Amino acid sequence: MNALANVLLRGSFLLLPLIALKPAVFASVDDAQSFALQAAEPYVKQGFQVREDYWGGDLGSGEKKAVRQQLFKGNEYWFWLGTEVDRAKVSIHVYDSDGKLAEEADGWEKGHFAAAHIIPKTTGSYFIIVSVEQSPEERTHWALVYGFR
Amino acid sequence: MTPFTRCLKVSAVALSGLTLCAQGAQVPQHIDIKQLSKTVEDVVVPLPNEIFGALNKLGAVNWKEHVRSDKGTNFTERPRIALLLGSVIADGFVAVQAEDAPAVKEIGQRVLALAKGIGVGNSITPHAKAIIEAADKRNWESVRQELDRTQNSVQQAMNEVHDEKLSQLVSLGGWLRGTEVLTSVVTKHFSADGAELLHQPDLLSYFQTRLQGMPEFNVSILREIEAALVQVKPLIDVGNARIPAESVKKINEITTRLGNGIVTRD
Repeated sequence: MNALANVLLRGSFLLLPLIALKPAVFASVDDAQSFALQAAEPYVKQGFQVREDYWGGDLGSGEKKAVRQQLFKGNEYWFWLGTEVDRAKVSIHVYDSDGKLAEEADGWEKGHFAAAHIIPKTTGSYFIIVSVEQSPEERTHWALVYGFR
Repeated sequence: MTPFTRCLKVSAVALSGLTLCAQGAQVPQHIDIKQLSKTVEDVVVPLPNEIFGALNKLGAVNWKEHVRSDKGTNFTERPRIALLLGSVIADGFVAVQAEDAPAVKEIGQRVLALAKGIGVGNSITPHAKAIIEAADKRNWESVRQELDRTQNSVQQAMNEVHDEKLSQLVSLGGWLRGTEVLTSVVTKHFSADGAELLHQPDLLSYFQTRLQGMPEFNVSILREIEAALVQVKPLIDVGNARIPAESVKKINEITTRLGNGIVTRD
């Protein structure tokens, strides 16, 4: 019994550094997706269908990424951006194919969540610009999900 | 609601307001799209029900007449199965719009058989089961969600084994079938807003590029699709102009021909 306890104790000491490293090393875009989906949750009750698919990657502080998206006039869209990095600040904005800001005024940013709302005036390509404004990490995972109704 | 919760909610709303104000002041009203070229991700392929939803808002559509009973031949070539799989999933969305439970159940079975044929059956079995159960309960929202999950799981499973090209063919099959149905609806009851839903030039370019990157697939339907997209492009890439009824009809003829090619053996 003592031997078993010893092994377990030693084992847990070996695991400690791994646990401590988890946020930096093992965090992934999948974690970021969980946060993006968390931001989307209240909107499902309002009738938004959230796509299963998502888009993600990692960005340094101050870096931006654009996702091109086909939107249809008649639909209403919300885009939700999330990251698992606690003290990161992210933003998301939607521009039309001419580069003109096309989102509604009720988009929001709350720490490691951000959302943008668009009711397209025309059917066509739009650019979803995601950005990591600030982050304590060198690279910050991000994930983007969207819903429509 | 307890006073504490109420207080919390009021604070949250106030905070949101502040955040929105701050955000509004900083967001550039205009950006240079050309400068984005290095950071732009590929265009996102919409699900057929995204288009059908927009179409529904333009007026009542008789979705039942667009439910397809021919679910296609049993192919052995994987690119053909992938194309057909995408097309059948799109048929699932049509059947949901039509609230046709028997058709949805049949499609659920067909999707599973095709997924098995392409080697990703395991990831689809729970979704196919869920589709059939939800159709039995006429829970259309769940069926829609499961169809989306099905497509996502199929494509994820393919990407995991580096079959990205087959995954792209699933998207292409769905897009073609969706476009066939869209143009069929708009041809019958033409409206400028309905025709505008075809304004998808970047999506079409995306598929053209993907098809050009598949020379190893020696399947004639792929070359037919490639040639057909060249014909479709000028009809939908019209800038700010409207897409006329003749163009919609022409695209419908093209996509119907391709749709028949996807479900039948050469």
